[in-house]
Amino acid sequence: MQKLKEEKKINFINAQNTSIIIFFIGLYGLCARRNIIKTIIALGIMSGGVILFFLSINRTPGSMPPIFIGEVPVPADPLPQALVITAIVVGISVTAVALIMFIAMYHKYGTTNWVKAMKHRMERDKE
Amino acid sequence: MILYTFMLIPAVAGLLIYLVPKRQMLWLAFGLQASLLVLSAYNFVFIINNGPIEIVLGNFTKVAGISLRCDTLAAAMIMLASFIFMVCFLFGLLDKFMNNLFIFFFLVLQALVMTIFLSRDLFNLYVVTEVSTIVVSVLIMFKKDSRSLYDGMLYLITNIAAMTFFLFGLAFVYRIFGTLDMDLIGAKMHLVEDAGSLAVPFGFLMTGVGLKCAFLPLFSWLPNAHATPSAPSIVSVILSGLYVKCGIYMFIRIREMFLPALIADDLFLIIGIATGILGFMLAIGQKDIKMMLAYSTISQIGLILMGIASGGQTSYYGGVLHVLNHAVFKSLLFLFAGILISKYQTRDMTKIRGVFKSMPYVSIMAFAAMLGITGAPLFNGSISKYLIESNFKGSIAEYAVIFINLGTIIYFIKFSQIFRGGSPHGRVSVDIWKKAAVTIMGILCLLMGLTGTVVISNVFHYRVSLDFWGYVKNTAMFFASAAIGLLLYGRFFRKLEIINKGFSLELGVNGIGISMTLFFIFMTSAAYVIARV
Repeated sequence: MQKLKEEKKINFINAQNTSIIIFFIGLYGLCARRNIIKTIIALGIMSGGVILFFLSINRTPGSMPPIFIGEVPVPADPLPQALVITAIVVGISVTAVALIMFIAMYHKYGTTNWVKAMKHRMERDKE
Repeated sequence: MILYTFMLIPAVAGLLIYLVPKRQMLWLAFGLQASLLVLSAYNFVFIINNGPIEIVLGNFTKVAGISLRCDTLAAAMIMLASFIFMVCFLFGLLDKFMNNLFIFFFLVLQALVMTIFLSRDLFNLYVVTEVSTIVVSVLIMFKKDSRSLYDGMLYLITNIAAMTFFLFGLAFVYRIFGTLDMDLIGAKMHLVEDAGSLAVPFGFLMTGVGLKCAFLPLFSWLPNAHATPSAPSIVSVILSGLYVKCGIYMFIRIREMFLPALIADDLFLIIGIATGILGFMLAIGQKDIKMMLAYSTISQIGLILMGIASGGQTSYYGGVLHVLNHAVFKSLLFLFAGILISKYQTRDMTKIRGVFKSMPYVSIMAFAAMLGITGAPLFNGSISKYLIESNFKGSIAEYAVIFINLGTIIYFIKFSQIFRGGSPHGRVSVDIWKKAAVTIMGILCLLMGLTGTVVISNVFHYRVSLDFWGYVKNTAMFFASAAIGLLLYGRFFRKLEIINKGFSLELGVNGIGISMTLFFIFMTSAAYVIARV
């Protein structure tokens, strides 16, 4: 009985559940942090969670990549890897663009805080 | 072959124009837009007669490859996109900001928008939307003004977070169905035994798409992005007239995809009503012209959503027609706002007076757009609003449409105060290209009103007819609403302190993040309940 419980616990800590938890940690960062850089990091964490999820779905134990070795008994699904590479590239470029925009914004406002930046903009608006 | 043209030609031409920075290239870009419009019209007629075209890239099978499919709706949206881009180029032919870099981004955005309309692969849709988000945020902060930097940054962060939701939903869909093609998923949808397992992917996808369309709790980024003061007015035109429709288009497709297993229409109907009502309430409270038009977009999106999610065919096509109509009149109003801002050097509605005296011709065209958006008889808005209402006979939703229309009338009465009074500047000259752009739009407002039902009947092969007495009743309803609106505005709203000072509901990134989380939880649990009951 004790052993069964332990096994259940270990089965719960699999890649899919972890990826969902990572995604929501990133979402928490988006909701709760006021620092602009931390927001960008939070977006990175969210997409990290999604990437882990992609890698773990539809995985059959003992499957092998269907390249180089001819006939494979259990071929792995190659599509998620292709999608993940694209997702990683898109994620990197988005982070780069967001950071560059942040630098431009920092030069104008001189703050890394969303709330202060918003106030700053409102004041400019009144002029 | 023709489908590749729509996606490749704008992108390649944009690159070419970027490499050869000559002023004459602007004319080349305009000529290109005109020929794209002709081509898309040809494509439209071809598809009506011969049925949808489908291509799978790289000659793979449909399961593994990326498929492009052009049906009647996609062809209509492509025609709309090339039309609006053409008018924008016409409008900006003599403007100074139209340098080669701007044209590059603008044409790349066009190529991406076309791809969103054509693509049937969910992952492809994700990549294209993500790239277009970056391009749009660059266009918003094109002038590097201090306010537009914040607005562009907010737009980028929130929309990318939404697209991450979309990506996660897509991964769930892939896990269940093993393919990413929307047609194949839709065809397999009825095989799902436990519809409750679709609740999570549905919630993720709808949160992503809902932020793109600016549904009720997720609209806070839209006025910032669409009404940034320093962004050129043609950017606002593209964003409010066309780019929001990409979100609506994705919503239509994904709703269709889930329809065999999960019918959540009542939910969207309620969201649509709430979006429409809150949108016009916030629009009444604006002083800034562009801001008011942006909130008005939110309100009209509520109407479109009501039409699409009504569950009835007539209302559905009314919603689709309202997408096209809204693109025309809102673009015209933003172009008009652009002319006003450049001539009067202010965005404050209370400071602009005597527009009719200073530019009578442009004002008449703006009247056409205002009559269109308020649903005046014979103009385009009246037809689509009539069709949206027709499936709601006797329910609360019918009164909601009338109420939203009353709100629209009230804020346009507020807007129309700018035409009154004498002009301090005398006649103001507007260059001929701007006049031409505005004229095309104004005439189209009337033309679509006169031919709206014929278009729906012939294009979508679905017979709609205007019941004569029903239309007369709607006309009477319009005049009654106009009278009530005038009375309310003159007696009540004009004297309210809060209306004159202006108010807005603005959330920061944290607020939008929280509303996104709440929307996701609400959507998932509601879908779960709907699937189980």
